[in-house]
Amino acid sequence: MLSFLRQISLAAVLGIITHSVSAQDEPIKFGKLDATAFKASQYKGAEGAPAIVLCDFGTSRIVGAEDGFKAVFERVTRVLVLNKAGYEQATVAVPLYHHEGKEEELLNLRGFTYNLVGEKIEKQKLDAKATFEEKLDGRHSLRKFSLPSVREGSIIEYAYTIKSDFLFNLQDWQFQRDIPVAWSEYRTIIPGFFQYKEIPHGYLPYTTQGRDIVGYSTGYTQSASDSYGTLSAATGSGNQMLLSGKAVRSVWAMQNVPAFREEPFMTTRNDYLAGIDFELDKIVFDPDRPQQVTSTWEKIGSELLKEEDFGVRLQGRSPLHNAAEVLKAQHTDASARAAAVVALVQGKVRYNGQERMYATTPLRRVVEQGQASAAELNLLLVQTLRDAGLDAHPVLLSTRSHGRIQTEVPVLSQFNYVVAGVAVPGQPELLLDATEPLALPGTLPERCLNGQGRLITSDGGKWVPLAPRQRHAHFTTAQLSLDAQGAMRGNMREEYNGYAGLAERNKVAASGEQAYLKALAQQHPDWALSGTKVLNLEKLDQALLVETNLTVPSSATDAAQQLYLPVMQLFTAAQNPFAHAERTFPVDFGTLQEFTTSVQLTLPTNFAVEELPKSAQVELPNGHGRYLYEVKQVGSTLHLTSRMQLRKTQYLPHEYPALRELFTRSVAKHAEPLVLRRTN
Amino acid sequence: MSLLGQHSISSRFALAAALCLGPLLAQAGQPLQWPVSSIPAALRQNAHAVIRQQDDILTVKAAGRMVYTVHRVVTVLDEQGDNWGVAVVPYDKLTQVSYLRGTVYDADGRVVRTLRTADIKDYSNVSGASLFEDNRVRVGDLRQPRYPYTADFTYEYSSDNTLNFPAWSPQDEEHVSLEHATLRVTTPPELPLRYLEERLPQGGAVTKSQQGNQLVYAWQLTSLPALEREPYSPPLAEQVPTVYTAPTAFEVQGHRGDMTSWQGLGKWEYDLNQDRAELSPEIKAKVAALVKDISEPRQRVRKVYEYLQNSTRYVSVQLGIGGWQAFPASTVASTGYGDCKALSNYCMALLRAAGVESFCAMIGAGEQRAAIRTSFPSNQFNHMILCVPMPKDTVWLECTSQSEAFGYLGSFTGGRHALLLTPQGGKLVRTPSYAAAVNGQFRNAEVVIDDKGHGRATVRTLSSGLQQDALAQMISALPADEQRKRAYARLGLPTVTIEQSSWQPNRQGALPAVTERLTLALPSYASLTGRRLFLVPNLLNRLPPPAPSVGARQTPLVLHLPFTDADTVRFKVPADYKPESVPAPVQLRTAFGSYEAQVQVLQDGTIQYIRRLQMPDGHFEAAQYEAYEAFRQRISKADRMQLVLVRPES
Repeated sequence: MLSFLRQISLAAVLGIITHSVSAQDEPIKFGKLDATAFKASQYKGAEGAPAIVLCDFGTSRIVGAEDGFKAVFERVTRVLVLNKAGYEQATVAVPLYHHEGKEEELLNLRGFTYNLVGEKIEKQKLDAKATFEEKLDGRHSLRKFSLPSVREGSIIEYAYTIKSDFLFNLQDWQFQRDIPVAWSEYRTIIPGFFQYKEIPHGYLPYTTQGRDIVGYSTGYTQSASDSYGTLSAATGSGNQMLLSGKAVRSVWAMQNVPAFREEPFMTTRNDYLAGIDFELDKIVFDPDRPQQVTSTWEKIGSELLKEEDFGVRLQGRSPLHNAAEVLKAQHTDASARAAAVVALVQGKVRYNGQERMYATTPLRRVVEQGQASAAELNLLLVQTLRDAGLDAHPVLLSTRSHGRIQTEVPVLSQFNYVVAGVAVPGQPELLLDATEPLALPGTLPERCLNGQGRLITSDGGKWVPLAPRQRHAHFTTAQLSLDAQGAMRGNMREEYNGYAGLAERNKVAASGEQAYLKALAQQHPDWALSGTKVLNLEKLDQALLVETNLTVPSSATDAAQQLYLPVMQLFTAAQNPFAHAERTFPVDFGTLQEFTTSVQLTLPTNFAVEELPKSAQVELPNGHGRYLYEVKQVGSTLHLTSRMQLRKTQYLPHEYPALRELFTRSVAKHAEPLVLRRTN
Repeated sequence: MSLLGQHSISSRFALAAALCLGPLLAQAGQPLQWPVSSIPAALRQNAHAVIRQQDDILTVKAAGRMVYTVHRVVTVLDEQGDNWGVAVVPYDKLTQVSYLRGTVYDADGRVVRTLRTADIKDYSNVSGASLFEDNRVRVGDLRQPRYPYTADFTYEYSSDNTLNFPAWSPQDEEHVSLEHATLRVTTPPELPLRYLEERLPQGGAVTKSQQGNQLVYAWQLTSLPALEREPYSPPLAEQVPTVYTAPTAFEVQGHRGDMTSWQGLGKWEYDLNQDRAELSPEIKAKVAALVKDISEPRQRVRKVYEYLQNSTRYVSVQLGIGGWQAFPASTVASTGYGDCKALSNYCMALLRAAGVESFCAMIGAGEQRAAIRTSFPSNQFNHMILCVPMPKDTVWLECTSQSEAFGYLGSFTGGRHALLLTPQGGKLVRTPSYAAAVNGQFRNAEVVIDDKGHGRATVRTLSSGLQQDALAQMISALPADEQRKRAYARLGLPTVTIEQSSWQPNRQGALPAVTERLTLALPSYASLTGRRLFLVPNLLNRLPPPAPSVGARQTPLVLHLPFTDADTVRFKVPADYKPESVPAPVQLRTAFGSYEAQVQVLQDGTIQYIRRLQMPDGHFEAAQYEAYEAFRQRISKADRMQLVLVRPES
């Protein structure tokens, strides 16, 4: 094996373009620091920040071990604490993973706090024994430590090594944090027989990025098995070997990385935060027979179908088989039958809120328990749809809180969720998710509206768009008449369509109908409401309706000739949803949106119109959004209409000012009152 | 009829079970349990869940050992009651969960499933700012896809920590009714139970008996309809029947104490931390040097407190007795961190080195926390602060904060009882309260409105006392850009851009204050309709209308925050506009506060708005609620009053 490895021609194995990185020095030496480092003003972004990372430097390499390899990750981090809000940087939690006897091990932890006293640097050592382990769950734990004597102006520094049995993922790297980072650098040194896929995320450019080939050698112990098959590595009698050859060294670095801030209407932090993830792609000990770990979506799909917690779960009959047979006989139409199966599954099992891709519990047991993760619930759905005679397959996807899918990187960990896809002749796949009892079958929950999903079939599968089939649409109509004293009476009807209907049904379900109606009354403390009701709560194929009779008390004073009525403001949102003037990342709504309000106001004989707001129309560039406002008078009746349409699901940061302005204009327009005059 | 019906149901069920539902076979033929149909209608009203039966058993084994068993059967009627379908059992190094079992029944009372060991989850339950705590929970989840269902949980834990006996208050949430609940406490004769009964229905008092040589105390509650909390009412914990229990003598990891008096409890905590306030000669010399030129005692304390704030930080490490015993002062001196006990103890040691005597004090921290039940000595505390007696005003120090003003406790620990820890034992004392006059928010704004209705405002706001707590917290904890984001949320204007912002804390005065300066762009702040300009003169301080009441008022009105607000806003409007409608002045005086608002058009055309609102804190009779509601409604209306200007027709 030793000689064989030497023969590997690296370039051939790697098949990547290598461009040389100058073999630069490491950006930080642990424990080496001079007094100039304490001067905050030299660091970009330090002003107003609680602390700044001066340098964060990590290296991952693969080293030989007993009967295999380990990933060794080394990190040195140095942080300047600028004020007391930065003290929390001094308590560090290192996440560690362990599973089935394999583990990640934290080694060689060391740290210092440096304080500048006059010209002198005072150094205090971290007590490396004072670490605490917090078990999070069966597989995850945290090792925590806290640096001593931290004050405003301290520099804290710590270094550690993680030795890992898990080669499937290398340690990922975040260049960006909640505080600014002056320099962040990650290197990997990977021998040719391991190859990883890189999954970058975020919007920031690298300051340095490159690759070169370096010499590589590592020790390796192979167990000798005797004729009885007994491994003897444990007794130390294995074969010690030295592997040497070449490795690919990669480097990524960013300078002056701004602090990361979450903004409203985002998918998940991870889509925006600058970082890089890794997933094992190939193991190549023999160039003629590379072992493909992941490579194509087709292979990922067919392997998943053999997985105990995925494909194997789908084999055999559904625990709801008998009921599925009944539905098969009852419904000839495929969509209607599919909807009935969704209802059947939902009646037996509730969603426990866990977004999962693997069904860790057998489906029969899932039905007994009456609750399940998304994977268990929707694989049960697939199986039951099949038993009802439908052509159903699982569809993998990544929820909005898990992050965007990069279809060009065939890596399974991009997914975290599964729904069911049913082939309907002549139509695109019908996508079904049993986690949302309040959604119309075929309407995916909003968390699933995230690019594309992967239909998993034995013949390779395909991508299916997760684009919403419906909009988020809210229509409000009111018919009012003004009485001689200036009070308004009439009725209002709110219509929630598509995703607005789903959101509103969820609100009703979460608080209860009574509390929902109470909250509605609370939104309009001045109004007297009567006969308020919610309609179509159960009729998922129709809009959710809220209807009420209402009286708006008069704002007129006896003496005044004029009556001022901000009618539109009564029925529209008073706040601009985009509070902040600045935007760093795209606005991501998930759905197209429309908000329409239409009010009819009939005037009594003793009031005449003195002044009406002017009609207005505002367009976003390229027709990506529109706001329309109109007032018309027909006889003694005024017709007011306001319509806001957003025709894209995502707006880029440069489009943000116009989007915010669109709402600013609409809110201002809605505030404009009608001016009426008493005529007697 | 009903018998026959039941019989046929269960036999059909048995058949189904035999065919495909193997694990359920055992239940076939069992009698129906807890059918929903047997819940009295009055208990379903307004309820999301019904506690069918709850039996709590506290067995005191010894001064340092207790066992607690809970059997709870709850019917969950709808989704809002779902949290009753889950059992959460906390434990830590001193407390072990013996078992957690559960079975869930459908509406008719048939077994749906029984919890298996593998179904029970185990989670860490550690608070945010903690380096290490050993708090964990076991969780059993029996929630079902169909309502109603009935979850039946039994669990037991045993503990070597007898400092706290659980309070018995089975109906401790809104919208849950109770059919029947019992509490039974057994103790050895030498450790009689201490208890405090509150709001028990008539005839609900304790029944005492003896079983062998053990003392037995028993209570029960029957048929309590669901409650809905009214707005601005006392916390639910102060509305429902409760029995508080406490030991006479207790023991934690070999440390024995007497809880029959505040003196005894305080003595235990004092002794636990004795000899932990030693400092090295170097630190002592450092402190002596620090205060050598200061003779005034209060200033000496201030100097030491500032040193503490600049050289330590809050990091919590709590393990076993470590929940009550502080790290030694010498440890804090070398690591520079500690929890509330460690930092209070360290500060006490520093003050001693400066020649000032002080005492640690246990306190129940948190805004709107239930008052200490002073007649019932027991551990009602969760925090520690430091008390420095002075000839005149006693100084209180919050030692876990690096930014709190010297001597200020705020809404976190102010205005309540604390247990002072002295060599003689515990002593209940009150911490300072902050009255309406000192919790101020004084604002001055200048606004220029242009001929399109757009506004530009410069605003200066001085907040003091309790009204600056949140601001001061924000300034010390958040970076500049996040502070500005919070300001957006606080302004509550339909559309605004904050062009400039700054916050200046002042911690030197008798009470802390924060000055906020903002420059705001206010697009279309005034509405223009042809000839008219509409303007709401109350720019930034509109009191929301009161939360709507639920039927006739039952509970007292509770006001928490006494405050004084004063706003002056001046608007410059385009020259050719003249007032058409100016809101009339409003002046209100009630037991709940006083309000004044006035709009004036000054000679140079400037519009001046002045508003003043002062409200006290306190408890008011339920009968007064209507008047309070009316007061709030009138303020809300006045705050939204609009001014109309008109320009001549051109």
